[in-house]
Amino acid sequence: MHVLLIVVPVIFAAACIALPGPRLRLASLVLGCAAHLGVTIWSWSAGFGGKVDLFFGIEPLGHLFVSLMSVLFAATSVYFVGYHRKALLSQRIFLACMLALLASLSAVCLSRHLGVLWVAMETASLTATPLIYFRLSARSLEATWKFLLMNSVGIALALLGVFCIAVAASETEPVLSLVWSDLILRAGELNVVWLRAGFLLALVGFGAKMGLSPLHSWKPDAYGEAPPPVAALLSGGMTLGAFIGILRILQICSAAGLADFAGGWLVVFGLLSIATAAVFVVGNNDYRRIFAYTSVEHMGVMVIGVGLGHGGSYASMLHALHNTLNKGVLFFMAGFFWRLYKSNRVSDVRGALHHHPVAGVLFLGGLCATCGLPPFGMFFSELGIVFAAAQRAQWWVLGLFLLTLCIVFVGVMTAMLPMVFGPPPEKLDSVRGDEERWRSIAMLTPAALLLLAAFVFGAYQPAFLRDALCAAAATLQPPATASLAAVPRGMEVLP
Amino acid sequence: MLRSVMDSILILAALLNLAMLATSRMAACIRTFAVQSLLLALLPVAVGFSHDAAPGVHVFAIAAGTMGLKVLLIPWILLRVLRSGEIHREVEPFIGFTASVLLGALIIVASFAFADGMPLPSRAPTDLLVPVAVATLFNGLLILVSRAKAITQVLGYLVVENGVFVFGLLLLDQTPALVELGILLDLFVGVFIMGIVVYHIRREFDHMDTHLLDALRES
Repeated sequence: MHVLLIVVPVIFAAACIALPGPRLRLASLVLGCAAHLGVTIWSWSAGFGGKVDLFFGIEPLGHLFVSLMSVLFAATSVYFVGYHRKALLSQRIFLACMLALLASLSAVCLSRHLGVLWVAMETASLTATPLIYFRLSARSLEATWKFLLMNSVGIALALLGVFCIAVAASETEPVLSLVWSDLILRAGELNVVWLRAGFLLALVGFGAKMGLSPLHSWKPDAYGEAPPPVAALLSGGMTLGAFIGILRILQICSAAGLADFAGGWLVVFGLLSIATAAVFVVGNNDYRRIFAYTSVEHMGVMVIGVGLGHGGSYASMLHALHNTLNKGVLFFMAGFFWRLYKSNRVSDVRGALHHHPVAGVLFLGGLCATCGLPPFGMFFSELGIVFAAAQRAQWWVLGLFLLTLCIVFVGVMTAMLPMVFGPPPEKLDSVRGDEERWRSIAMLTPAALLLLAAFVFGAYQPAFLRDALCAAAATLQPPATASLAAVPRGMEVLP
Repeated sequence: MLRSVMDSILILAALLNLAMLATSRMAACIRTFAVQSLLLALLPVAVGFSHDAAPGVHVFAIAAGTMGLKVLLIPWILLRVLRSGEIHREVEPFIGFTASVLLGALIIVASFAFADGMPLPSRAPTDLLVPVAVATLFNGLLILVSRAKAITQVLGYLVVENGVFVFGLLLLDQTPALVELGILLDLFVGVFIMGIVVYHIRREFDHMDTHLLDALRES
């Protein structure tokens, strides 16, 4: 049944191409994403985890990530109805690509075979390319080119990494299967030298796709030039797909006893990413590029979490959840602000709270969430990573982590608080007319719902969510310690 | 016999990397890539025969797929994009031709040194496979970063992909054909989209230089 998660969006993508009118196609987008969300919810209640086939299957980590993507795509499809005006690029192709992106990302999450995972990941970046080139301008062309080239080269390196892991396994196995659950079971027999090479190549390759520094340079360009709903999908959805690629290989490495080697590299890349974000956030005058750098930061936090292991893995899963919710809110609001102020420059946007109180409050909430202020979940995930670092006595990691996070916090807040408070600039069009009003509602409602979810799941964590996160984190531990690691020490007191 | 054929093909493929680094005409560069791909497309068959007296359909499918895509279709797309622009058919490197050939040669030496340190899988048909794969990969990256034209960057990406392809031959009889065909399909669609983007870049900026693509940066 899990194949439905891949097939349903493909069917609706085909419908998008076939249907005649723009309204019908938009309806097909919303219905397709809603159907995907429906299947996801059904999969949680029915729990079809038992059945697996050769290439696809549901397990806790992939299930969690595909659910996050499903929620984000459903919210984005509603937002897009309000956002979309006139078709620059063929609307047919655009909507079909959006649904195809959902299908290929679901395939990434559900794939059990490393080769299939690679093919699905590459398909995801190819379907995302036309989405970035939405405006058909010179700037968006540049962003598209950088995205396409960096991602293609990155993914080629990741393929080489997968091949190295296959070579590591080929010594003992006459018929090779690249099914990662089999590789984990036979991890002791793998050739360690090739496994290390494979891990590093895959980390660089999938890391380029995830936007880890130093291969993040496409990210601010792509997120800055793509339409905001697409930026939300890329930063909240596609990064998770690349992350799962890294995690699969990490699972194999830690089962083979290379957890410290792999964790060390993850922490290095993570710290470098947060530091890069800290350097480029401060003094930046384009709010969408600032959000892109916060995305680099959050990717860094996620890989540091899994790199530290134990409690860190749980914190990393929690961070992935809140990253998805949060990036949705931020980019939805960025698109709405563009509508209000007709500018991407921080210095042009002033006094949002006066000009449009609802948007101002939502934006402020999104900012607090992204900077990790207490009621929101990112506070707890970052705190969890601090605990994990302290538990392993990695004081340098802890110190650098806190320092760079603080710099990002100050950079984001000093740039963006004036956008919310203060007097608005004169001569602004206000929202008028029935059509504008329903468009605003269609754009603000998904943002409000995602922000509400981020708030609620930060303040109070329901049992099902906690179980899902713990189960996903437990898959990242070496098999022997998995039972101990479900609940990290120190995290019991937190909600 | 079979082994010396494979070794010759691999050495030739590695030398063609240097030829690509030295070529100043873009069309010639694309043709050199096609020749390299043709040589590499023969390899799966040779490797198949070295494992087994009668290799399965699998190796022929991969050889045919590579031949059709990398030897015919992709060079054809690239040459078409090239012809659609009337000006600037020279390569325009950031690093001079002599310097890049020297760098390429250094890369080849370094990859042999690197491959020496890696344990060779027992099923490897020839021990040149790993060094040539790594050399091709890094030469591709060199083409990618040292050339200004969008289309030469696509070529660099394709050479990287050729390197990965050579490495994949280590696993020839062990990966499902479906996955390999998926990889080829993705490659094709990728190059197709790149071709479209290059065409748009040319139309937008009147030529294909990527150093004009620098409007997006931190203010």
